[in-house]
Amino acid sequence: MTGSRRWTVMTAALAAIIALAVLGAARWKEGRFARAGAVRIARSTAAYFTIVTPVNKADSADLDLTHLFAQARALATLPGWVWPVEIYHGTAPLVDAGGEPLPAAELDRVPEWRDGAALVPLRGRSDGTPATVVGVAAIRPAHPGGVAALWPGWGIPAALLAVGVAAAAAAGRRSRRDVIVAAVLLGLAAYADVRGAARRSSNDWLTATRLLMQEAATRLPGPRIRVTLSDLMPLTLGGAELVWGDSTTQEPRRARLRGTQVAVVAARLGSGRWADLRTTPAEAFTGVWLAGLLALALLGPLGFAALEWGERTAAGEVREAATAWAFLAPAGLHLAMFTVAPMLFTLYLAVHGASGGFLEPVRPYIGLTNLRAVVRDPLVWGSLATTALYALYVPVTTALALAVALVLRRPGRAALVLRAAFVLPVMTSGVAVALVAQSFAGLGARDWLGSPRSALLVVMVLSAWTQLGAQMMVFVAGLQRIPDTYLDAARVDGANAWQRFWRVTFPLLKPITLFVLVTGVIGAVQMFTYVYVLTGGGPLHATDVIMRRVFEIAWDSLEFGRASALSLLVFVLLLAVTALQFKVLARESRVEHA
Amino acid sequence: MASVTLRGLTVSLDGAGPAALRDLTLEVLDGELLVLLGPSGCGKTTALRCIAGLEHPTAGDVLIDDRVVTRVPPADRNVAMVFQNYALYPHLTIGENIGFALEVRGASRADIDRRVAGVAARLGIADLLARRPDQLSGGQRQRAALARAMVREPAVFLLDEPLSNLDANLRVELRAELVALHCALGATMVYVTHDQGEAMTMGQRIAVLHEGRLLQVGTPAEVYQRPADVLVARSLGTPAMNILAGRARGTADSIEDRMFESGSLRIPVALPTYEGEIQIGVRPEHVGVCAVDKGAGNGDILIVELLGNETVVHLNAGGQPLIARLPGLVDVQVGTRVGLKVDRRHLHLFDASGVRIP
Repeated sequence: MTGSRRWTVMTAALAAIIALAVLGAARWKEGRFARAGAVRIARSTAAYFTIVTPVNKADSADLDLTHLFAQARALATLPGWVWPVEIYHGTAPLVDAGGEPLPAAELDRVPEWRDGAALVPLRGRSDGTPATVVGVAAIRPAHPGGVAALWPGWGIPAALLAVGVAAAAAAGRRSRRDVIVAAVLLGLAAYADVRGAARRSSNDWLTATRLLMQEAATRLPGPRIRVTLSDLMPLTLGGAELVWGDSTTQEPRRARLRGTQVAVVAARLGSGRWADLRTTPAEAFTGVWLAGLLALALLGPLGFAALEWGERTAAGEVREAATAWAFLAPAGLHLAMFTVAPMLFTLYLAVHGASGGFLEPVRPYIGLTNLRAVVRDPLVWGSLATTALYALYVPVTTALALAVALVLRRPGRAALVLRAAFVLPVMTSGVAVALVAQSFAGLGARDWLGSPRSALLVVMVLSAWTQLGAQMMVFVAGLQRIPDTYLDAARVDGANAWQRFWRVTFPLLKPITLFVLVTGVIGAVQMFTYVYVLTGGGPLHATDVIMRRVFEIAWDSLEFGRASALSLLVFVLLLAVTALQFKVLARESRVEHA
Repeated sequence: MASVTLRGLTVSLDGAGPAALRDLTLEVLDGELLVLLGPSGCGKTTALRCIAGLEHPTAGDVLIDDRVVTRVPPADRNVAMVFQNYALYPHLTIGENIGFALEVRGASRADIDRRVAGVAARLGIADLLARRPDQLSGGQRQRAALARAMVREPAVFLLDEPLSNLDANLRVELRAELVALHCALGATMVYVTHDQGEAMTMGQRIAVLHEGRLLQVGTPAEVYQRPADVLVARSLGTPAMNILAGRARGTADSIEDRMFESGSLRIPVALPTYEGEIQIGVRPEHVGVCAVDKGAGNGDILIVELLGNETVVHLNAGGQPLIARLPGLVDVQVGTRVGLKVDRRHLHLFDASGVRIP
């Protein structure tokens, strides 16, 4: 076997493994959507039987068996109902009376999924108290029939194509770009299948629930003249909306409502009476899968490139590279987990909606809605202005730090002690500093932190005090890096102390100054501790810096999406400010001490 | 132009430890190029910095043109200095570097431009004025540093090992240029170096320093031919002068019969009075070889260096290392024993402490 043949086989095998992984992941998710859809339909079905079946006369907690039997049979034969259904009263099947009875133990603890069917407890009616379980509703996912059953999905042909292209590329008949394109196609195709399954699960539930509602409208036990929406509300399972509408489209469709995508179907609840059943479409939650499947598929070209490199490169060098990567891996992993991943998660949170919890698993994609909300928030703009005002302490501190550094740069015991004194606050916990400052601010006649006019000033002075030492140390190091001969030369040239500083020392310190300013401004924008401990953003938002606003939006309003969007906005603003600082200050700072 | 006088100059750099300069008295004549020669740490740079005003003497005075400037700041001494690493301001262009001294003194823009252009043209760096120091070669930087010193037309030029960072060829070239420049400017220059070649070729006079003390000052010929000290003797000439330590022995009445013995060498030495332990210096070119037992002693050949125009032979004369410099290519074999001749007319006699015996 020649090297290139072996390489072709290895490449094709790698491509096949990756393609199978992509397909497998997509298939698994499709299965989850099918199952979730069936479970949802089963819940609505159980709710349907609970509201349409009259109660047992003997035991008011139970449903009337005769009615239940008739209605179960009726549902199984309802036109348009395609989901195999079984209703158990107790453990006895009603639709297929000769079928397996339910194991008695399962009635107490209904498993959500068994043998390809979703099982949901069927409850009797109750007034306030939790209703007893009287049976089980079982639903199997509907399988597409007819021509649709022949369609294998987009994933399989794309996978075959990707493996073929990879093999051809290994043989030298396709370029590396083709491999990437094929991998992207595979990722997109697999995602299309997942999205299709998600869409189908929403549509199936809408269709089934529409049928159930229309049936219920005619079957609700009397006495009543007209069905009301609240009668049918249990069928929506709480997660969907049911409103009167004038639409007559009985096919599920997608619409935009208040900036969000919704899945809608219209149900006819009587002559000329139509209601819209709306739910969040399941495919809105599949964005992560697009990213994940694409990333998985792109492992193919990555592996291809690695194999190609390994093929061309000497074994020793490959080993060396492998060792290097092994050494890089821990740091890389750390960086990925604690820097890259949080950033990506922030990005994800910023463009997704949420209806409550922080780690809610599924969130619909809502684009720039969060950002728009943040930008329109006057408190955010107030915070940005406060932050800008607050950041003004940075240049002042920098100038002071430079002055102190110039005085204390020479070695000596006194200078050393004084330097340590200046650096001490840097090493002290911010909270401790703030608490001590708080007790100081309470002294005297004036409540410095209580007045909107002075609170920010207190925070600025505190920040300046703690930052001064750090900046001074950087300047001392920078000053010591400047060779004395430049200053000697300037003295012989006739420059006085002032000229020596402005014409020689300061220009040579420019990179240091830039560094101190840029990190200072970044630090100022990120400042949170003092405000959190001292003022909580008050009084009257006078110290409500931007990071505290982010905190409040996230943890007080529990709007993590908006908080993330604001974080990103701040990031972009900081980037712009930093770029500006570089542009203004760094023009001539590339200096080498020749 | 001006003269520079150092009067009893003593410098202790950090209070403790040996003084960097000890009681240095030296006069640099008007228009003279005086070389301060010595190994690193001998105090020559400290002396230069005292003249510049960058260092303050613990004792003694610096006079420029008979004016005591010991406490006068550098700016008011009318001296210019060229630093070993050139010290061109890295953030300024060459033109700005050269013009810096004029600018801080408040000269007009036109005046600065004219003078910078003039001095740059003179040193052949007119086309480099817009560049930055890190874009220049070593030789170009050297010229720029010189130009920066020249532009002010100072009374005294102070040059601190200005050529030591350059490669050998460039050093030889620039040293000739510097001498020519000195002649053309007629300026007083104090030139610090540890390179005896530079000292010999450039200096009108050489002042040899050692551990902060002035050992000798004189023209290159004087210092070479009549070194006042063993250290001076060894610091000039390549290979360095042979120093033989031994006893002068003989009878008090017959001066001619006194014999100096060192290793296998027995050299008749004329001393006015009996001294005992002495040292004799003899330059390698004044040592010759002859047949065994026909000279002042015998030596074993250790190393032979054939240089073309001469042959340098390293010998072991009964435990006393000795170097002979023979004209032309001489056919001698390593490991053989030869007789040694010493030219008695060119002996340098030093006492046990190393001071020349007149």
